[in-house]
Amino acid sequence: MEELPGPFPVGRYARKLQEELRRRARVRLVGEVTGVSRSKVQAYFELRDAEGAVPCAIWLDDLEKAGLPEGGLRDGAEVVIGGGPDYYPGGGQASPSFAFRATQVRLAGEGDLLARLQVLRKQLRAEGLFELQKQLARPRLPKTIGVVTAESGAARRDLLAGLQRRGWAGTVVWAFALVQDRRAAPAIGAAIQELAATPAVEAIVVARGGGSLADLWAFCDETLCRTVAMLRVPVISAVGHERDSTLIDDVAAVACSTPTHAAEAVVPLDCLAARDALTRSAAALRRAGEGAVGTRSRHLVALARGPARALRRERIALNQKTREIRASSERGLAERRAFQRRLALVVLSRAARRAAGADADSKREALRRAQVAFRAHEPERTLERGYALAEDSGGEPVTSAAAALAARHVKLRFADGGVGAEIDQDGGEG
Amino acid sequence: MSEAPESYEAAVERLEQIIDRLDSGQAGLRETLELCREGRELVTYCSTELDAVSEGLKELKLDDLAAKLEQS
Repeated sequence: MEELPGPFPVGRYARKLQEELRRRARVRLVGEVTGVSRSKVQAYFELRDAEGAVPCAIWLDDLEKAGLPEGGLRDGAEVVIGGGPDYYPGGGQASPSFAFRATQVRLAGEGDLLARLQVLRKQLRAEGLFELQKQLARPRLPKTIGVVTAESGAARRDLLAGLQRRGWAGTVVWAFALVQDRRAAPAIGAAIQELAATPAVEAIVVARGGGSLADLWAFCDETLCRTVAMLRVPVISAVGHERDSTLIDDVAAVACSTPTHAAEAVVPLDCLAARDALTRSAAALRRAGEGAVGTRSRHLVALARGPARALRRERIALNQKTREIRASSERGLAERRAFQRRLALVVLSRAARRAAGADADSKREALRRAQVAFRAHEPERTLERGYALAEDSGGEPVTSAAAALAARHVKLRFADGGVGAEIDQDGGEG
Repeated sequence: MSEAPESYEAAVERLEQIIDRLDSGQAGLRETLELCREGRELVTYCSTELDAVSEGLKELKLDDLAAKLEQS
């Protein structure tokens, strides 16, 4: 120790330290305000982020000039301050203190937060923390899910509606937490860890409605995001809307733009469609089973009936052939007989013609002439010439007067018909 | 059931394989009957799993659940 310079009077050293610090470059710092307190002339607070903090002080005059909105310098506010390090050496009674002397202050804008987010994002990605959750297996049909959200938010209602649309009605374990301000990130982190430690919980949803990046800043908290990345239970983030991108979206297993999408991500299976599909599968199995047995049974039965059927078929074919042969032979016989008949006629006719010889024609002519002569002597020819024929009741000709008297009644036949006649005893003479 | 499926998704995946095999018409009688038996068991398993998340939404608060777990 003796090798060190000094000893110097502490008061002089304190003033020297003050001068040294005040010579340091003035810079801007960005971080979250915590532990705000005020004296009559100054406001005190800490500015911190996940890596550390600096005690700060600002004269109330400077604070007033900064024109922050009412209550702007409050716990949880993200601010940018301008100034430099300062040291108050204290005095006989007053305690010394170090503070970053802020002379300017404004609420952090989107740009400041985005710049911080970019740094955090780069760092966590480099550490491989974006991939861990994505490598976890997510159950398609969890029975129990955990949800971290605000107790009175639209996110809760939307998530339930989304689950209902999928026909899912399992168990939801709610872990309600603040979702905005500086207490939100530790509360969300604790809730997620507790849910993950609950054995029944198979997946966790972190949901919050939309807002500015400052509103959603809790979900960019480095500690929270590191916690999520290391969990062995998949986390689905549904923070903000589509345009909002928080750090928890990067480390989560799935990032969703709305609670409704989160419902689909946490229960990937559409239970209603799954039940329909299951019914179809059951029907397909039944058909396959019945078909396999039925087809083979029918085949077996067919095989068993085969010999009898073949015999019957052969018998029928045989009978048919027999009938055809019989019909064919009868037909042949009849044709043969008819042919023989025709042949006999031809032969007989030829023999007759040969036996009749050459005078047959002249005989036929003599016969024709005899027929003409005979016709000339037929009674009908005589009647046509005006004669009448008397016939008795038996139709026999009455050829004499005595026979006529004996007959008493005769029938007179003329060429055009017959009439009855009475025979007069006196005759007609005289 | 010969061996419970690892998960619903594993059961559905196996069921789809079985139905594809049956649809192919290449399975013999013994294999067909065995696949049908396994398939029916998987359908029963999946149906039970679906029933478990269809009997009405239950909502618990983490604090209540923690208290219940501590009591048990």
